[in-house]
Amino acid sequence: MSDNPASIPPIPRVSQALDVSRLPLPPGHMDASPRSNGFWGMAVFLVTDTVIFLLLLVANIYLRRYSQGPAQGALDPGTTVWFSLGLWASSGALVLADVFRKQAKLSGLLYLLTAALGLVFLYGQAQEYLHLNAQGATVDADLFFTGFYTLTGLHGLHVAFGALALLVTGALRFGGHLGRGREGFTAGLGLYWHFVDAVWVALFLLLYVWGGP
Amino acid sequence: MTTAPLPTETAPAPASRPRNFTRWLSTTDHKDIGMMYLALGALFFLIGGVEVLMMRLQLARPGNTLLQATTYNEFFTLHGTTMIFLAVMPILLGFSNYLLPLQIGAKDMAFPRLNAFGFWLTAFGGVILYLSLLEGPPDAGWFAYAPLSERPFSSSLGTDFWAAALLMMGMGTTLTALNIIITTVRYRAVGMGLWKMPLFSWMVFVNSFIIAFALPSLSAALIMLEVDRALGGRFFQGGGSPVLWQHYFWLFGHPEVYIMVLPAWGIISEVIPVFSRKPIFGYKFVAGSTLAIAVLSFAVYAHHMFAVGFARPVNLAFAASTMLIAIPTGIKVTNWVATLWKGSIRLTVPMLYAIAFIVQFTFGGITGVSFAVLPIDWQLTDSYYVVAHFHYVLMGGTLFALLSGLHFYFPKMTGRMLSEGFGKIAFWMITLGFNGVFLVQHALGMMGMPRRVYTYPDLPGWGALNLFSTVSAFVLALGLVLTLINIVISWRLGRIAGDNPWGAWTLEWATTSPPPKGNFVRLPPVKSSRPLWDLAHPEDPDHQRPPRHDQQGHIRPEERNHER
Repeated sequence: MSDNPASIPPIPRVSQALDVSRLPLPPGHMDASPRSNGFWGMAVFLVTDTVIFLLLLVANIYLRRYSQGPAQGALDPGTTVWFSLGLWASSGALVLADVFRKQAKLSGLLYLLTAALGLVFLYGQAQEYLHLNAQGATVDADLFFTGFYTLTGLHGLHVAFGALALLVTGALRFGGHLGRGREGFTAGLGLYWHFVDAVWVALFLLLYVWGGP
Repeated sequence: MTTAPLPTETAPAPASRPRNFTRWLSTTDHKDIGMMYLALGALFFLIGGVEVLMMRLQLARPGNTLLQATTYNEFFTLHGTTMIFLAVMPILLGFSNYLLPLQIGAKDMAFPRLNAFGFWLTAFGGVILYLSLLEGPPDAGWFAYAPLSERPFSSSLGTDFWAAALLMMGMGTTLTALNIIITTVRYRAVGMGLWKMPLFSWMVFVNSFIIAFALPSLSAALIMLEVDRALGGRFFQGGGSPVLWQHYFWLFGHPEVYIMVLPAWGIISEVIPVFSRKPIFGYKFVAGSTLAIAVLSFAVYAHHMFAVGFARPVNLAFAASTMLIAIPTGIKVTNWVATLWKGSIRLTVPMLYAIAFIVQFTFGGITGVSFAVLPIDWQLTDSYYVVAHFHYVLMGGTLFALLSGLHFYFPKMTGRMLSEGFGKIAFWMITLGFNGVFLVQHALGMMGMPRRVYTYPDLPGWGALNLFSTVSAFVLALGLVLTLINIVISWRLGRIAGDNPWGAWTLEWATTSPPPKGNFVRLPPVKSSRPLWDLAHPEDPDHQRPPRHDQQGHIRPEERNHER
């Protein structure tokens, strides 16, 4: 049973050749490069995140028809849209930051601006929670608000985490401490932030604007 | 081109690595993490085993008072949670972590540090679960059906610990699955197309997609449960819907069955060809049916809820989909048996476990199909027939495959062979013990014994069958302890294994045992799913093989008795 061959011819180390995120890239050609591991890893993670948000949203939509407590009318979309604009604007700042990064220009301040806009959103959300609680629209008051707080709370946690990571990224980039080897991390973080913004579009429409089934 | 001689079976004893404990805390090597997962799984398997032995002792005779009712509830809750999340899943993640990069010819996972993070999340999840012992352990069963798991009915903090532990472990598993997906997509050796991957890698790869879609459902359910318990939310109580918990739990829970069993099937698909001296029969069907299972595993989830009272069409749809999933599963079993057919079978310990797996898993699968028949399900649900069924699948299927994999890959992981004699004694004790425990439980279930009861009246036959079950449980436990002793002794004193003690053909056997850091010094060329065969037989490589059938569809005569 000793069918082992006498010798194995060498071939180049494949995993190194495939690890595109560590290959040096010619200047000005970042856009044409394949996506990094960090980007795709984050993409798969966001798929799992989407499932969580989707299922919580379905639970909210299903349960709100049996709601008998304080109505959805306690929400004030007019105020919410103002601090939401902060979050959506942050995606614009991030796009700009990524363009600067790919052109190897200074991008640190733009990442910090993105994080700051995220913090504006969190401040607005905190104010909204306080306002709602004062009106008696608490987590345990009503089926609608149980789902509302769960969804917006989970989203808020996402924003807080992303803002923290953006602050760190911005500070490191500002100091020139994040080199080419870390492009994958920044790309993944960027994808994450755009995703969190997109989730807020869905949540805003379905929780604040849409009247329910 | 230079050539490197392959180390022969008389290779020197494996060099011992630095015996430094902190190495294990900080390691990011996929092999170390794999071994740590295996150790974690083994530890909790022992804990879960002790719990179930206590339960079996309590059930040994009617009207027993060894355990109180609440203690019994805590025991079965901890046993279920421990076995699923802390024993089986870590062990299979251990195998995935250890083998996947080796099988596809990569030096490590795509995200080594994320890999370590996933392990530690799982380990801390286990710690959190057992810290609940200080506050009163969870007692709502491992499905934690609401509203039983809500604050009014489960007032200790046990269920909160349980939820926190599961959230952590779920996150760890999800991150590992993500890692596996990216690794498989981007780090396969040159020439290894998806349809040339070893079957274990195939199934682990597909499995990772199931994990990525199923575990978030558990996370969502746990978040909702905790909002209810900690903040007074109303998802499942106070006007909310308890059935919603069941939907979300089983939307995770049924795919979870396949999450646990797919890597086990992968191991079986590796073991059977090696010890039959034949390539797997119908490689593409074995691999491809995995995809069908991945999709169907979600489509059948509500068959756990036939007794909830859905509308008839809903029940019928899920009954039909449940029967449908028997097809891809049957394809796999058929292919394993066809691989055995006319093979030169070597009855080593891994092969014995694999054959026991086929028999027991098929039996468990058939009782599973019987639940798809609604009247049978309504009659037997929540009886010991269910307990017997899922232990036949999860233990007779998964555990036996994991033991097969353990005996098969132990030489690769440690450089030494396990004792065959010890292994065979342990195998017979485990197999006879296992069938003794659970075969009679089918009968008990049909006689009407409900599950989750801490004691039962002295009805005709119940006492004797339960006693038989309990005694068998101890035989089974003894066999497992014997296996553990075998591992400990062989690790130090076992025969030196060499690179490829079983004569297998996949890439992980091309490197030394145990593999060096970085796994491969050089890779053989990959042109088919059995690269080492192609190297050993340049005159008859797989990739130049003419079709097995002639133009009329008959097997060509020279193929008939050809050992490949």
